[in-house]
Amino acid sequence: MSAFSSLWRRYVFIDNPSPIVKQLPTTLVFSGAVLLVTLIPDLEFTDVPVTIAGGLGMILATSLAIVFSGSPSLRRLALLIPFIDLFAIGLFRMGTGGPTSLFSAMIILPVLWIAVQPQRRYIALAALGTSIALTLPYWLEWRFPAESSEWLRGIVTPIVFAVAAAIVNEISRQSDARVRAIHQLADERDVMLRGAVDYAERLSDNEGRMRAADRLTRSVLDAVTEQSVIGADVTGLIDVWNPGAEKMLGLTAVQAQGRRYMHEFHVEAELLVRSKELNYPPGETVLNPGFSALVESARLGKAEVRQWTYVRADGTTLIVEVAVTRRVDEQGTTVGYIFVATDVTQALEVSRLKDEFVGLISHELRTPLSSILGYLELMRDDEDNPLSDEQVQYLGVAERNAHRLLRLVGDLLFTAQVGSSSFTLDTTSLEVEPIVANSVESAGPNAATAGVTMSFIPADEQITVLGDAQRLGQACDNLISNAIKFTPRGGTVSVALTLEEGKAVITVRDTGMGIPEEELDQLFARFFRASTATRAAVPGVGLGLSITKAIVVAHLGELDVQSEVGVGTSFILRIPVAGPVAIPLS
Amino acid sequence: MSRLTVVVADDDADILALVKIAVAKADLDLLEAATNGIDALAAIQRHKPDLALLDVSMPGMTGLEVTRAVREDEALAGALVFILSAAVDQTAVDAGFAAGADAYMTKPFSPRTLAAQLTALIEARATAQ
Repeated sequence: MSAFSSLWRRYVFIDNPSPIVKQLPTTLVFSGAVLLVTLIPDLEFTDVPVTIAGGLGMILATSLAIVFSGSPSLRRLALLIPFIDLFAIGLFRMGTGGPTSLFSAMIILPVLWIAVQPQRRYIALAALGTSIALTLPYWLEWRFPAESSEWLRGIVTPIVFAVAAAIVNEISRQSDARVRAIHQLADERDVMLRGAVDYAERLSDNEGRMRAADRLTRSVLDAVTEQSVIGADVTGLIDVWNPGAEKMLGLTAVQAQGRRYMHEFHVEAELLVRSKELNYPPGETVLNPGFSALVESARLGKAEVRQWTYVRADGTTLIVEVAVTRRVDEQGTTVGYIFVATDVTQALEVSRLKDEFVGLISHELRTPLSSILGYLELMRDDEDNPLSDEQVQYLGVAERNAHRLLRLVGDLLFTAQVGSSSFTLDTTSLEVEPIVANSVESAGPNAATAGVTMSFIPADEQITVLGDAQRLGQACDNLISNAIKFTPRGGTVSVALTLEEGKAVITVRDTGMGIPEEELDQLFARFFRASTATRAAVPGVGLGLSITKAIVVAHLGELDVQSEVGVGTSFILRIPVAGPVAIPLS
Repeated sequence: MSRLTVVVADDDADILALVKIAVAKADLDLLEAATNGIDALAAIQRHKPDLALLDVSMPGMTGLEVTRAVREDEALAGALVFILSAAVDQTAVDAGFAAGADAYMTKPFSPRTLAAQLTALIEARATAQ
């Protein structure tokens, strides 16, 4: 606060003095002169009315100075004041002895005020004012001075004052220029200071953001505890090692970072095999063959996920799936690699157990069914002990249900194989029409029992696809038997085979109960059953369509469905044709 | 012409009985019925039958292992091997033929069809000879 008030004072009194500040010395000196003449007997007022007029002039000038100081809009008129001062001092001088007055020197005070104005013309104005003040007695008496010394005083003294005014004016101008320069420098310094403060704030903000980003990255890396995230430079030297890596490989970040190379955690024989696979062009220098085998695909910008064996610090091994990506700097130059590894030892074990389970089911369920079906057949075929019609009918029921169970076992096995990606197609070039026709024909008895009319419209041309005849037949069987199951007595199921845009298209359309629109998305999910199917108590476990879809997808085809509740459903199966698009029958 | 001889093997007694019936229907002379792979191979080596009818999944030795052992034994060069298995996928069938089987039938099977196939296999062999 004190610093501020001292600055304010400096501004008001020195840099930009108000009219009263400028007037005050003149008023004080004038008052002192009045006091001297009154108190000292040797001095006397030669002309009292003129002296009083001078005093009134000084009071007027001082009053104006006070008024102008209080009003910024009037301040531009302040230059009137020193001229009034000159006139008042001239009158006072005239009233206290005229040319012999002691107080002629007071004139210098308003002259200096006028002289400090920036323009040079004020030097002349100051000289003119001085001349008028000194020759005031002759002007008032309206006579020309009798002696040459008298009129010369009206010229010489103003010239001396003008010279003094010129010096003051010059000093003032230079001082003003310096003050302006100092102000300008101060302004520039302020601007620079503000800039520096802004820059520092921005720097601080950026640093904060970088720290936050760094903390985020670190916390993400630390949160990954079930996968190892390892970073290495282009030579393979490790520089990132997350808690997942610590857990997986049994080394701390301090033990690994900057001390170990990535390929040290791999089985050398695997790296060697991969190195041979990569088949580097002749002449290419490979700095670090072990590490190079790990990152070669990533180096060429390809995403790579590959199974490797990691060797822990204690020498034990684990099977991992490693995704390798490239790290680049701002210019796009490779500066290292990131290895994200997932332990798949357990997943592989689960897959092996699943395969074992599938094998076991295959044997354990099919064997009793073999006995049941075999002995049922023996009973039916026993010519020595022919069965009654009723017994034959009972046997038929038992056989039908045993076959149903067998189909279910087959579907479960197939679903398990699809899930573990272990199902294969026995692909040959085959004609589609006999497959579809066979499915339609074998569904005939079922359709007849269900009171459903069936029709088949074959294609105009022969259509050949690359596929597995048994699996394609299974897909057609599923679609047709579904259509029959979901169509009420008196309805129709129409099957059509066409060739459209290079694809064999099998359409199975029924006039059944339909599937609600919101359930169409889930229709191909395993064990899903439409609400219309469960409501109508249509038997099934919900595997047929998922199996059909898997078969179609394995044939690079598509399976679409269109349905309306109460109107019917259409399944459209499309499979790309093999080789030449079609062979016209003609 | 004397009846052709056969050795059968299956670890499931009911299936084994069913197989025996099919063998009888095909008018073959059943020399021995084994319930595991090791006994089956021993019986084949002992009797040197015209035909061995083997299940795949058996204790001791699998039907495929028995088949391979038969194919490696020069003394059994003339024997036909018929495999009967619960494994139905193409990979399993391929593995059966790769082991040296002459025929492969999946379970469940019809005794009538099995008898017909056995007869057909033997007739085909007789024609070839």
